[in-house]
This record gives sequence, C-alpha cells and structure tokens, in this order.
Amino acid sequence: MTAPKRILIVDDEQDIRTYLSTLLEDQGYQTVQARDGEEAMQKLLAESPDIITLDVSMPEKSGIKFFREIKTDDRWKHIPVIIVTGVSEDFKNFISSRHRVPAPEGFVSKPISREEILNLVSTLTR
Amino acid sequence: MTDKPYKNYFELMPAYLTILDRDLRIVQANKRFHEDFGDFEGRYCFQVNQHRSERCEHCPTERTFRDGLRHEVEEKFVNNMGHEIFLLINTTPITNEAGEITHVMKMGTDISELKILQDQLRNSRERYRKLFEEVPCYISIQDSDLRIVDANRRLREDFDATPGDKCHQIYMHRAEACVPCIVKQTFDDGQVHQTEEVMTSPKGEQVNVLVYAAPLRDTEGKISNVIEMSTNITQIRQLQSQLTSLGLIISSISHGIKGLLTSLDGGVYLVNTGLAKNDRARFEQGWKMVERNITRIRRMVLDLLYYAKDRVPELEKTLAPVLAEEVCEVMRGKATEMGIDFKCEFDSNAGEFDADPKAIRTLLINLVENAIDACRVDKKKKTHQVRIGLKGYSEYIKFEVEDNGIGMDQEIRERAFSLFFSSKRGSGTGLGLFISNKIAQAHGGEIKIDSELNKGTRMIVKLPRKHPVSETEAPKA
Repeated sequence: MTAPKRILIVDDEQDIRTYLSTLLEDQGYQTVQARDGEEAMQKLLAESPDIITLDVSMPEKSGIKFFREIKTDDRWKHIPVIIVTGVSEDFKNFISSRHRVPAPEGFVSKPISREEILNLVSTLTR
Repeated sequence: MTDKPYKNYFELMPAYLTILDRDLRIVQANKRFHEDFGDFEGRYCFQVNQHRSERCEHCPTERTFRDGLRHEVEEKFVNNMGHEIFLLINTTPITNEAGEITHVMKMGTDISELKILQDQLRNSRERYRKLFEEVPCYISIQDSDLRIVDANRRLREDFDATPGDKCHQIYMHRAEACVPCIVKQTFDDGQVHQTEEVMTSPKGEQVNVLVYAAPLRDTEGKISNVIEMSTNITQIRQLQSQLTSLGLIISSISHGIKGLLTSLDGGVYLVNTGLAKNDRARFEQGWKMVERNITRIRRMVLDLLYYAKDRVPELEKTLAPVLAEEVCEVMRGKATEMGIDFKCEFDSNAGEFDADPKAIRTLLINLVENAIDACRVDKKKKTHQVRIGLKGYSEYIKFEVEDNGIGMDQEIRERAFSLFFSSKRGSGTGLGLFISNKIAQAHGGEIKIDSELNKGTRMIVKLPRKHPVSETEAPKA
C-alpha cells in the first residue's frame, strides 16, 4: 500500500482551510495548512507535500510571490499547484505576472466545486 | 533770395502754422489755420485755439520762450465750427540777429484720426484684457525660464500667482520644473501641447486640470512667450473616480462574497458529514462555521447599505455603557476563540449621548474586528490583547479600541479611512473603516488613529453628547 498523498493547503481564511482539509482528508489524503506564503514556505521545507492548493490574495506574502518562488526553485518546481481564488482579476494578474514561470497546473474558482477540486487533486497526484 | 517762396511754403504746409509773440498773441498764421479757426489778428492763441479766456496751464510756447528749446505736446483745439481737433503741437523759437527769441512758431498736425484709432485699440485691448481676466480658466503667459509674465485674475486669486513666479512653484510647490514640461516643449517645437496635472492650491486643495500650452510669436515670427491655459476638471475626475469606485466595490464585494460562500459551504459540508458519520465534534465545528459566516455576510450587507444609502443617523438618547457592553458580548467569543485576551474597561457612569445605536454598534464592531484581525496575522508576539475602553467627559463620550497586533505604518494610517483601501489584501472589503468614519462624522464626532508598525493600534472615537443638529442640517459638501 502506498503512503497517502500529502496536500499543503494555503489560505488566509481559517474556515476555508478547515473546509479543504476536512474534505481532502475524507478522501484519504494527508493535509498540512499554512495561512500565508511565508508560513507555506516553512511547511514546504518541513513537510514535503505532493501537491499545493494556493489562495492568491493573502497578507504577508501573496500567493503569486510564493508561486513564483517555488516554480523557479529546482527543489520544488515539480510540485503541482492548484490556484484557489475568488478574484477573477487575480487570475489575470497572475497569468500576466508569470514571466518565465510555467502556468499553474490547476485553477479553481471560489466558491469551489467539491467535485472539481477532488478530480484535479486526484489527477495531479496520480 | 526773396521771402516769397518761404511765404508760399508757410501757406501751403498741411498743418496749422502760427507765429506767436511773447504775449502769446498770434501775429501770423497760415491759410489752413485761417480757414479752420477764422480771424486771429490781435487775439491770443488760447482764445482762438481753445476758446478760453486764460492761458493754458502747460503752455509749450511759454516754455520755448523760457528755455529756447523745441517742445512737443498733444493739444485739443476747437475749430470755428465748434469741432474738437486733436493736434500734435511742435514749438520752435524764432530769434533776431542778436540771438534773442522774439517769436515762437507753433505747428499743429491733425492727429484726430490717429487718436480715434488709438482709442479703438485701447478699447479692444481692454476687451481682450477683460476676456483674459474673466475667462473661467487659469491663464498665464510665461517666458522661456518658465517665469510668469502675466497671470489672469483666477490664477492670481486661487494660486497667489504674481509676475516673476515660476509656474511649477505656484502650481506644484516644487523647485524643479515638471517632467515633461509642455511649456518647454512648446518653446522647443512651436506646437500646441496638452497634458493633465494635479495641482495643489495654497489652501492645500487638490485641483485636477487639463493644461494647454500655445506659442505667442513676435512680429518676426519668433516665439517670445508661451500661453498656458489650465481648465479645472476636478468635478469630472471626481465623478470618474466615483464610477471607478463603483466598479471596484462590485469586484471587491464579489470577491468577499465568494470567500464567505466558500466558508459557508465548508460549514455545511462539515455539518452534513458530521451528521452522517455521527461525529458530534465535526458537526459542532461545521455549525460554528455556518453561524460565523452568516454573521459576516449580514455585517457586510449592513455595511453596504450604509455606504449605498448615505444614511442619516436615527438619534436617540443612548446609554454608552450599555452599548459598549453589547459590543463586548458580541465580540468576546470571536476574540477568545483566537486565543486573544479580551478586556472591556468601562466607566459605568459614562452616561448618555445622542446616538444611532445600530450605527455606533456597527462602528465599534468594525474597529474590534480590525483589532482582532491585526492580532490574528501578527506572528511577532506570543500573546495578544484587545481592549475596549469607554470614558465619559462633560461634552463628549470616548470609546477606545486597542490591540497589540501588527500596527500600521504611516501610509496605512493615512489611507485607513479611504474607501476600498484595505491592508488585509483579499480578506478586507475596504469598507469597514470608511463606514466607521462616516458614522462618526454623521454623529458630529471623529475617529483618531494612534498606531505604530509591529507595536499595535489604538483607535480613539470621540462622539459629542449633544448632536450638533445645525451641522447635519447644513447641505452636504
């Protein structure tokens, strides 16, 4: 039996982190939470997640900045990232700010569809 | 050589020629003078020329007798038809063999037409000056050093502009010229240039202007000056910014609602799965999420209503300690859940004040929510406190909401009350403090921010006991 996949959930809203972690753990995944980009970076080092769900607008370090950092770092750039955001404008900013960074592996709009996020996580961790 | 040709010239000169003696009697005059002014023999020049009985005050002939020099003045004669004629008068001394001045020759050239033209020119100049002065724009004429040579009334009055001032000094209060400077560009290429600027009046008001610069050329076609005309478009820009704000509010609200719906959805998921799994802890956790997010949605809607309706407060005599206690009860749970030490320090004798209790409750809850958020995101301190204070003074009531969270730097402090300004990135709507401030103002009070980055924030709300009715009845600016 293979070890359960580990998901890093990054969002500044405690309720959304609770929701996503409960939802994903119910499907047999392991979850780790971080409330902003800075904490996410610490968890990345300590927990080696298999996939990341990432909110874009957060205090301290934003999701965009965190995404750029991991996608330009050989240690982490293979980890798939699902952007979970409520601001459509942020998508645009996000895409236009990509520069030499590849596109994120998945996008999910808030309010999220459970099926959509579970399918994406399942596909990207296969 | 005989005198005859000279006599002829004298007669035919296209001017009025007279010879006067020391008594200012006309001893000789040419034909033209004779025709237009009639008999002169034995009469004084002032009698014939001006129909006066006394000598003129400033007589050029007398001066020539005195100093032996030529003099030139303008005089008004009245001819024998009673018409006024404007003349340029030249007086020349006539001397005898001993070199003594015996007579003065007075030559008058008719400049009436020139005078009319001059008057017309003056009138037209005055008209243009009036136009320049009164046109509802800021107009200045500048030299190549960007010094103001002339400024119209509006510019002088609103910006204290005086000739010699530099354009950028009076408009921008800056020592350096603007980059780019359209006046310079016009001096360089002779073209009309246009730009938009925000100027600051001496009263500190920001004025949005549309600026045009056009060349003024001398008779040789060289650019001697540049005229700069600025039109005040502040109102248009304000309207635009309101429209932009409206767009922003919609996008901001939709973002907020999406987040809240996700959290609400999460609560529902936890409730449902908790029930299905018979997991009471999960069910309770989910139910709290549902409750919390319904409250947040309700608050957001109330805030929005406040913004949209520009509500006039419904005032009633309100007991300040009772109101503060209510706020504490509502917020205590949230704070303790976050592990924040929550203190309520009330002066129970603070007494009554004129307030819209719903609005003041909204104001205080907004401040306490901000204080809790400021603690929640602060990772630099191990323990956090939020304190609500209340004190009564003779004229006013003072509420304080204090936290030891992340604090604000100067920029955040200055912009804190702006609409749609949020330092919370995605999780704020930028409405809370804007509305709180509006509520305080509608009560005739104010909110002050005392904050330091990484140390914490104290919000001080001062509300008068008696509502200044006259102020609210005055039309809103």
